[in-house]
Amino acid sequence: MEKLLLTLIFVPLAAGFVLLFTPAKWKLLHKGCGLVISVFTFLAAVKLFTAGKIVFDQPILDIWQVKLNLLFETNHLNTFILLFAMGFGLLISIYSLKDASAPRQSNFFYGALLLAVGGSAGILLTGHLIFLLIFWEIVTVSLYLLVITGGTECRFAATKSFAMLGASDGALLLGIGMIWVLSSGTFQFTGLGLPTDSALSIVAFLLLMLAAVTKAGAMPLHTWLPTSGECTKASIMAILPAALDKLLGIYLLVIIVKEIFLLQSGPLSFILSVVGAATILFAVLVAMVQHNLKKLLSYQAIAQVGYMVLGIATLTPIGIAGAVFHMLNHATYKCCLFLCGGAVEHVSGTAELDQLGGLGKKMPWTFMAFLVATMSMSGIPLFGGFVSKWMVYQGLVQMESQADPAAGFWPLWLLVAMFGSALTLAASVKILHSIFLSRKPDHLRNVREVSAAMLIPMMILAFLCVFFGVFYRIPLKYFIYPALNIERETAIMGSWNSWLAVIYLLGGVLIALLIVLLSRSLLKQRSVPTWTCGEVQPNDKMIVPGTHFYKTISSLSPFKQLYHLQEKEHFDLYNHGGKIGLLFSGFLKWLHSGLLPVYLVWTAFGLIVILTVLCNIW
Amino acid sequence: MMIPLPLFVAVPLAVAFIVPLFGQKTKSAATVLANVATACLLILAIYIMRTGQSGIYRVGQWSIPIGINLVLDGLSGLMLLTISIVSFAAMLFSIRYMEQYTAKPKFLSLFLLMVAGMNGVVLSGDIFNLFVFLEIASISSYALVGFGCEHEELEASFKYMVLGSVASMFILFGVGLVYGMTGTLNLAYISKTIQLAGLNNGLYFALAMFIVGFGLKAALVPFHAWLPDAHPSAPAPISAMLSGVLIKALGVYALVRVIFNVFGVSIPIGWILITLGVLSMVIGVFLAVGQWDFKRLLAYHSISQMGYVVLGVGIGAVVLAQGKDPAWASLAILGGLFHLMNHSVFKSLLFLTSGSIEIATGTRQLKQLGGLAEKMPVTRTMCTIASAAIAGIPPFNGFWSKLLIVLAAVKAQFYGLAAVTVLVSLVTLISFLKVQRYIFLGDLPDNLKEVKESKGSMAWSMGVLAGLCVVMGILLLWEPLREQILTPAVQVLVDNVYSSKIIAMP
Repeated sequence: MEKLLLTLIFVPLAAGFVLLFTPAKWKLLHKGCGLVISVFTFLAAVKLFTAGKIVFDQPILDIWQVKLNLLFETNHLNTFILLFAMGFGLLISIYSLKDASAPRQSNFFYGALLLAVGGSAGILLTGHLIFLLIFWEIVTVSLYLLVITGGTECRFAATKSFAMLGASDGALLLGIGMIWVLSSGTFQFTGLGLPTDSALSIVAFLLLMLAAVTKAGAMPLHTWLPTSGECTKASIMAILPAALDKLLGIYLLVIIVKEIFLLQSGPLSFILSVVGAATILFAVLVAMVQHNLKKLLSYQAIAQVGYMVLGIATLTPIGIAGAVFHMLNHATYKCCLFLCGGAVEHVSGTAELDQLGGLGKKMPWTFMAFLVATMSMSGIPLFGGFVSKWMVYQGLVQMESQADPAAGFWPLWLLVAMFGSALTLAASVKILHSIFLSRKPDHLRNVREVSAAMLIPMMILAFLCVFFGVFYRIPLKYFIYPALNIERETAIMGSWNSWLAVIYLLGGVLIALLIVLLSRSLLKQRSVPTWTCGEVQPNDKMIVPGTHFYKTISSLSPFKQLYHLQEKEHFDLYNHGGKIGLLFSGFLKWLHSGLLPVYLVWTAFGLIVILTVLCNIW
Repeated sequence: MMIPLPLFVAVPLAVAFIVPLFGQKTKSAATVLANVATACLLILAIYIMRTGQSGIYRVGQWSIPIGINLVLDGLSGLMLLTISIVSFAAMLFSIRYMEQYTAKPKFLSLFLLMVAGMNGVVLSGDIFNLFVFLEIASISSYALVGFGCEHEELEASFKYMVLGSVASMFILFGVGLVYGMTGTLNLAYISKTIQLAGLNNGLYFALAMFIVGFGLKAALVPFHAWLPDAHPSAPAPISAMLSGVLIKALGVYALVRVIFNVFGVSIPIGWILITLGVLSMVIGVFLAVGQWDFKRLLAYHSISQMGYVVLGVGIGAVVLAQGKDPAWASLAILGGLFHLMNHSVFKSLLFLTSGSIEIATGTRQLKQLGGLAEKMPVTRTMCTIASAAIAGIPPFNGFWSKLLIVLAAVKAQFYGLAAVTVLVSLVTLISFLKVQRYIFLGDLPDNLKEVKESKGSMAWSMGVLAGLCVVMGILLLWEPLREQILTPAVQVLVDNVYSSKIIAMP
């Protein structure tokens, strides 16, 4: 079993590294390699999931109080998430087999995909902080490598994502160093349970938190996600930012809160709640007015991270379980949404919403998968997203019993969370209308449904959305509660019975169908073209694009300023950091005038300072 | 078998005087000879590392304080290995690269003189010979910087020469003072005298002279001003040598040797090292990120990366002087020295790739380049590996040494220093993302449609260094190698048995 665990991590990493250096022309090799290895990793993950606890511990380095052990441990939580992560890897490599819009440099695409898969497996299974950091950075690098396959327009996005994630990786390194000091020389985090009472531990917590939320895509370092979303291929967005990065970021956040630190309700959990709530509110508002499908989906992905962060910040068992469940649901529906978006882009060649429309009839399967995923995301009952959001809400309500005054803000968080859910639905309606309903533009007359290799992953994910909604007890009871050491019977509030709801809903749909059929047969109908006062109007002029849906809001007073600032990228720390850096750099350049006497003066100045210090002449 | 230590100086010196005898027609023979010489040095260096030799060679069998002696210990062994690797790769690269210049045998001769000087500096057991070898290496490097004889190259060479001479003058002045105060020039005996009698203001003055002099050679801020002009102006293999090893052998090695093994560490000296290191790191990297000339950007990064080395060593010095756990000091110094080795490999590789790009496209302005990923896949791969290494991305070598430095800083409770280290690493990453973005990604400009990839010796030498970047982590992780190469060098500085060992020699 230990061998299986090691191969699961290192085979994809090694194969990915080698694939990067193969010529771009060997497409068949890349595809084959990617598919075979991702099938293998998935099966291995299933095997690990069903096997009991496995511990692999191999000392690698032990010098001067630095002990590096290649340490892997399995438990309920990480094998469960691993199963999902490997599953996403497999679905994406199936999807990409037929995706003609997949990047030309297939060596980079499949190489980086395998690196991401292996790196995620490493992060999830390791119990050693330094190796966590190493795998963490490997996943960051794989994102960069994937984004640069997008070609010229992607090079800015790639640079920006790597820089921002690199900053969070630096924070992680620093935080790990501090934990190493706090825990008196150990990098093993299982059951560490440090208290957050000293200044050092608070800084360490905040640094680790920054790393986790940046990977997951929450504020304040969230802007890499929409920037790369705009230009990158949908399949790339589906695997990393939408699925794996979420799993990893939230997994780390859970580890930080539950294993590394024993977080008590207080200022730190308040900060976490603020991050969560601000992320929800800001991102849904921005998502509503986006015109690009992938950018809109990216902003929605950011907003959903807010729910997970908020759920963890409640520090209640049900809230954390809800966050973990929402993470799985989110990865499922968001991956599905991006894959559907990729299918739409594949057939139409564009992701701009006002150039799309009326694809519902031509692409019924894609439409269905997209609809299901959207409903799950908006938290509509009977879909996975509803249950997990409900659990987060319930966790928020339970904060009432916490003694800490900061917990008294729970009604505010609850309000923001519910409001955000409603706005998510609003933005989703806009997408559904713009792509699948409305009127079909002329240039989309010849589109066809995509091939089975692309449809099957979408269908599987859509099915999971429904499955998690109806049979929500199965993942909760058997996987998530044991993984988090929560009592199995932790009840969800209220009398929610999904079977009853299924029956009601199905009944409602039947009645609606009946009404439609009856009205068709009983009432006389006449269908005529739209009357345009006799003038012949081109088809394209008759389209009501969904991009106009929320124009009223964007011209409303507080939102108008918000959107204005957002347009100018004032909320983008990357820009501000860059400006400050360039200013400093410019100042230094100005100092280096190239004049020899000036340089000699510096030398003399240095000599004087050193002499003063050494000879004690104060 | 004990290898006579003077071979490290004699081989390059002898070949340096033979190669100019070859004319323009037989220059290929000269090239072969020079390459054989550097290859021999590499084999010798690997051999002494394998056998773990340490020893003293008395020139002319004169007894120690009177005659000249060469000392090989862990630190000089590590430096010898580094110098040999980089000079081997740079020499291999120049086989093809230097064809564009006219006086190739002269170039080879100067190159080998520089190698001889550096090997002499790291082996020399007395401070005056150290100065002599330092001058040999410096003067040949002044000539090499101006080798192209263009307007800018000569200007850079002149600036370099002025500041370099100032440095040499300071060092010589320091040597004189030390001789006056202690009555000996042998490093071990100076150290013994200082241990017995303590430091007086005259010796402190000499130490300040040494710090400024070697600091100038190492291009630490504020003594760095010559470097960004000089390193980009030289031909690419020479830039690789200058940034890769010259500033380390002449500057950092000498500084560390004099401070740790001769004068002894104290808290103010440690803080001076840390301050120099932090200033170099921060100022160097922020200057680098704003550059648009590829080689100039790399040159500023050299300043910044040398800051890491000095910071690591400085933290070690402070911890030792404070009397805290020597394990923390060892960790910091290990990080610094390992970073020194790593930097010499990835920075020389970066300069070689810059040469490969310049020879193919005729420019090194980032804004005039672009889209070379498909045209120059080999160079691109090498440059990406080196960029990843310098930015500290695992599993490449730079990651490990930076990790050690950060951990040591945290352990010694210098949290601010650890944060600065991470910040500088981030800015380094950003500036190399910029390099990747402007050189290799994006659209190919029309005038670069016919660009050809570098082949032959250029590709091979880059490949050797890139391979090292990938695998050099095992120097730290694999115990036998670590015990052979890195640990002895750290022990030389931490245990401070240098003088007693030499004086105890028969």
